[in-house]
Amino acid sequence: MPTLPQFLSQAFNGIALGSLLALIASGLSIILGTLGVLNFAHGSMFMLGAYTAFVVLGHWDSFAAALAVAALVLLLVGLVTERGLIRFYYRRPAEDQILVTFGLGIMMVEAVRHVFGPLSQRVPLPSWGQGVINFGFFLYPLYRVEVIGIVAALLFAFYLLLYRTRLGLVVRAGIEDPLMVELLGTHVRRVFMVVFSLGAMAAGIAGATYAPLAAVIPNMGEPFLVQCFVVVVIGGLGSFFGAVVGGLIVGEILSLTTLFDPSYAQAAIYAVMTLVLIIRPRGLFGTMGRE
Amino acid sequence: MVEWDSRRAWRWLPELSMAIALTILPFAFDTWLGSVDLLTRILIWGVFGLGFDLLFGRTGLLSFGQAAFYGTGGFVTAYLLTSGTLNSAWLAMAIGIVIASVFSVFVGFLALRRVGIYFAMITLAFGELSYFLENSPLAKWTGGENGLPGVGAPSIRIGEFDYSFTGSWPSYQLVAGFFFIGFVLARFIVLSPVGVVLTAIRQNQQRTAALGHDVRGYKLAVFVLAAAYAGCGGVLLGIFQSYMPPDAFALETSGQLVIQTVIGGAGTLIGPAVGAAIWLTLRDLLQEVPAIGDLWKFVLGLVFVVSVTFMPNGVVGTIIKLWSRFWPRRGAFASSARADDGANLNETRLAPLTSGLRSTGMTPSPLALEARRISKSYGGIRAVDDVSLALPEGQLHAIIGPNGAGKSTLLRLLAHEEMCDSGHILLHGVDLAGADVTAAFQNGMAKSYQINQLFPQLTVRQNLRIGALGRQRGRLRLDVFQSAERFSETEAIIAALINELSLDECADIVVSTLPYGAKRQLELGLALAGRPSVLLLDEPLAGLSPVERDGVKRLVRSLSKGRTIVLVEHDMDAVFELAACITVLQEGHKLAEGTPEEISGDPKVREAYLGGTVMP
Amino acid sequence: MSHKLFSRRSLLKSGLGASAAGFSLRQTTPEAIAQDHPVLGTYPAGVNGSTIFIGGVFPLTGPYSASGKDEQLGFQLAIDHLNNGSRITDQIPSLTKGGGILGKKIESQSADSETKPDTAVQAATRFIRNNKAIVLTGGVSSAESIAMQKLGQREHVIFMVGNSGSNDTTGKDCQRYGFRAQPSAYMAAKALAPVLAKELGATRKAAYLVPDYTYGTSVYKSMKEFTEKTGWTTVTEQLAPLGTTDFSSYLLNIANTGADVFVNVAFGADATASTKQAEQFGILSNMKYVVPNISQFQAKELGASIMGGTYGTQSWWWTEQDSYPLARIFVEEFEKRNHYKPDWGASEVYIQLLVWADAVERAGTFYPIEVIKALESGEKVNSIYGEVYYRAEDHQMVRPVPVMVGKKPNKMEGPDDFFQVLNLVPGEQVLPPFPETGCKMPDINA
Repeated sequence: MPTLPQFLSQAFNGIALGSLLALIASGLSIILGTLGVLNFAHGSMFMLGAYTAFVVLGHWDSFAAALAVAALVLLLVGLVTERGLIRFYYRRPAEDQILVTFGLGIMMVEAVRHVFGPLSQRVPLPSWGQGVINFGFFLYPLYRVEVIGIVAALLFAFYLLLYRTRLGLVVRAGIEDPLMVELLGTHVRRVFMVVFSLGAMAAGIAGATYAPLAAVIPNMGEPFLVQCFVVVVIGGLGSFFGAVVGGLIVGEILSLTTLFDPSYAQAAIYAVMTLVLIIRPRGLFGTMGRE
Repeated sequence: MVEWDSRRAWRWLPELSMAIALTILPFAFDTWLGSVDLLTRILIWGVFGLGFDLLFGRTGLLSFGQAAFYGTGGFVTAYLLTSGTLNSAWLAMAIGIVIASVFSVFVGFLALRRVGIYFAMITLAFGELSYFLENSPLAKWTGGENGLPGVGAPSIRIGEFDYSFTGSWPSYQLVAGFFFIGFVLARFIVLSPVGVVLTAIRQNQQRTAALGHDVRGYKLAVFVLAAAYAGCGGVLLGIFQSYMPPDAFALETSGQLVIQTVIGGAGTLIGPAVGAAIWLTLRDLLQEVPAIGDLWKFVLGLVFVVSVTFMPNGVVGTIIKLWSRFWPRRGAFASSARADDGANLNETRLAPLTSGLRSTGMTPSPLALEARRISKSYGGIRAVDDVSLALPEGQLHAIIGPNGAGKSTLLRLLAHEEMCDSGHILLHGVDLAGADVTAAFQNGMAKSYQINQLFPQLTVRQNLRIGALGRQRGRLRLDVFQSAERFSETEAIIAALINELSLDECADIVVSTLPYGAKRQLELGLALAGRPSVLLLDEPLAGLSPVERDGVKRLVRSLSKGRTIVLVEHDMDAVFELAACITVLQEGHKLAEGTPEEISGDPKVREAYLGGTVMP
Repeated sequence: MSHKLFSRRSLLKSGLGASAAGFSLRQTTPEAIAQDHPVLGTYPAGVNGSTIFIGGVFPLTGPYSASGKDEQLGFQLAIDHLNNGSRITDQIPSLTKGGGILGKKIESQSADSETKPDTAVQAATRFIRNNKAIVLTGGVSSAESIAMQKLGQREHVIFMVGNSGSNDTTGKDCQRYGFRAQPSAYMAAKALAPVLAKELGATRKAAYLVPDYTYGTSVYKSMKEFTEKTGWTTVTEQLAPLGTTDFSSYLLNIANTGADVFVNVAFGADATASTKQAEQFGILSNMKYVVPNISQFQAKELGASIMGGTYGTQSWWWTEQDSYPLARIFVEEFEKRNHYKPDWGASEVYIQLLVWADAVERAGTFYPIEVIKALESGEKVNSIYGEVYYRAEDHQMVRPVPVMVGKKPNKMEGPDDFFQVLNLVPGEQVLPPFPETGCKMPDINA
């Protein structure tokens, strides 16, 4: 039986894990909800954010700059991808969109491997992120706590964008009914472009934020991609809040199961996903009938 | 995706060509590539892909988790053989396939609750779950990350004859044999009524259900079938390599299957095999080019993206498309019955079928359709508020009202497309509580839609066949060895409908190219194909020219003999002309009801329509 | 290259070997081969022409692609040296004449296994069936290597294992046609534990991070066995399932145990990630760090400030060139070509091919059974690892196991000087006792 300190430390860790998933998944969710595109290249975009941070930090010793540049680069990547490729697929069945982003994801990974090589790149912790915090009964890396803060701030900014701006209103309307939005005179295509870029940017910033914590290798986005799908299913398609709550739930499950039997950690999130499907197929916050 | 119907004369051509190809190709591979192994691998992917093509290409269900069944089949068989539990490889193979299929029932039951992207994501998650289970908790049986080596091959022993399928050529023979059988079976399915229903599901799932087919049942059936093929593929892989690899369960395996199917051409059955041939050959070839080396995956990714963008039908699909453009099929099919008798014959053939409904033991109700205080709300809005209707047999009953009155919702409730919040609906005196639109159709009630709900990539004849087969075969029948076009009674109904609806000239033309008027006729025809005794018509005159309107009005009048019809319309002239009884709805509740004369004179009705003081 | 031919020693050797050479020369003519040895595997089809084919299967994409690339470069260097001679082959008596093996030049190809055992088997099968490869090498993960070893057994083509640390490769999965050079987990642990006891103390409390698959648990078992023998206690075994990229949950558990040594069994990118994260959790500041099987490039990826002070083993480290002259030449030649110092992927494949080539020359034929016998003969071969040979019972190479400690940045004498080799433990001292390995070697004629 785990002790209370053990339980609390893992619960806290779950928030750290989950907040990152929430950020990545929220990007995936709005793209999915608005454009109806399941972006299989999302994991690769996460990876690109990490590599961008690596490159920036090689020349400029500011972590904030690395985050900002990663955001801009991925915004650009999202823009180019949407304008250059995805938009030709809106009239095509949903499956084709999945397929083209899948192929794109592969290309991104291999291109990065070719350019940077297969070795793991070293992205150092920012100077304000080094060391541990003493929570009394456990020590926790300072940077991870800061990540929670960074992600929370970004999610809040995202929330403001979606729920307090005109653009956000159009985006949310577009999630509900893209045809109607178009009929009401809004250039839906422009909205799609913005949404896709924003989603890519979310993944990119998440990647840059995560880079000091893990091995920065070309394949680093893959495990996150599938976990994100689970988050979106649990939280509900197209729902921003769903992505946040779902991310936290998945993060907690992954952390807390290690107290009991870690070999079932991964299986546990799929089990919860199955449960959600049985009890509430549209997810916790998903809109009905949105397939 | 390209539909490929087949004339009876050509029916066996694909099987024959396949047999010839499977006999000749290995020699080509052996001579030019040094060994037949690549072809064997291609065919293993081909077996895996046959099932997936039925699932995705034909039914439109994109699953990213087929590896779960591929791996399950392979590992069950590998375990049985390597642990010495079973000596007979054939039995082990059969068990592997069965267990994969059983697993898929469970997965399908959960995954098929959703469609489209959700379905893809759920299947992906189950694939990953299986991969994970194979690696850790079940590692004792599966060998974990090492897999199971030493899988034995089956052999045929008859008396003195002992042939073991080990080695390059015998392995090919085994795999080619399975592929051929799988191909023949898949062809049967595609040409059977089941295949027709699957195609229909892909093009218009709602309408397929509304035409009496148990969509969930068929989807589950094809899902399990795809899993069986996948399991078979996995079994063959383990035996061929004498080694069952853990990456059979990986997401990449499911992904590779999808990629290969798309490159080769979904919906063509051999698309996956062709795609595998291209992918595997390119993979080996590209690595040998010094300039490319380990960029081979990038190049292949690029090929894939280009392929999806410019050749959405894949290699085989594009070839088929070009073929039909240069050699278009001329003339109509000879159907097994000709409608040459005119009106009387049509009436008999299309006469309403009232079978399927058992009375509850009480005296049969004189009312064909009855609604008792039904209500439906959406959020805060009461769309239908405590409405009751009583339609005697043979009545033509119109429902009118201003916009937003709830007419469409009422019709949807009557058709059982949605459930009432309260109240009852009785069809021929029987309360079909909780029944869905499929059950309603099977019990003789059909609806024709305001916005055409057709199967756009099929011909008129094929569209009608879907409707006619519905009632003929019941909700769910897995008659895979029947040919879809050989039900003489069904074909006669179709011919009669075509004749009745004046669609003779466009009977074998693809619906998406037809003019609106013909589509509208077909829309009605679909509802009629099930020989309903109760017809619900949702604005059948919408968008038609005056001449076309007259035609439809005549049709409706002739249809009302012996049938009960509920007609929702805005064309007041038509309504007053046709209806025996009219119900007026306003804001969800019944405002007035009566004969046309009573209604036209009712001041409340005038006020509701014109809104304001009554004009003298 | 050729000037060595006239050294006194080589003249003596060639003189002594003249009769033997004459004898074997007779045997290497195709007709003689066809008469003396039956068809077996790719013999004689693969050797009847003027060239022979050697295939290498390495992960060039996927998570282990760094190690795979390293192996591939070692492979290419070996083929080049065998074909065109080199200062290394000049010092191995059987290989001095150059020009390939038994007079036949080598053609070679490498294929990408994508770090998947299935793809590895497919590529290896292709090399056998299409190219008639006479020997195969490669594999970075034990799963790949074991799978290819089994394939070799089935197809009767010798497989010289590239990398594989699992005990099973020469244990329950041993094959007559497979030969492994890397020290097994048992050997590494047995060599490491006494050094740990001496350097870190005899009564330590160890917390383990173990990847949850057979390789990981195999290493854990061996380490636990040997460290407990010297008096250590095993405080916890944190099993991280496949696909874990964030080890924080396990590290938290470890940090809470009060252990004073952190033993990390993870490999490859997982090792890099878990080490980074352990450092961030403060574990590396509070506990000593032990890595029983250091991954290739691990120090390069993490940097000396983290890896400094870490104890562990890996199959080979380039500073061994101070002990073995052939290693020095190897490092020079490799670095000249590839602009970095070779890691133990390259060295392993290199040594495997040269030892195999030596066995073929000694056997005087490519016929697999004779080559296997030559490899099992126990005759010592001079190599970049010193004098090595295979133990006949399980085909484990008997070679020194280097135990090392990471150098702190201020102690490094160059950018690649990450480790100080503390001890080159002779292989004989750490071999597992044979019957207990679980190896049941197939009959040579199987």
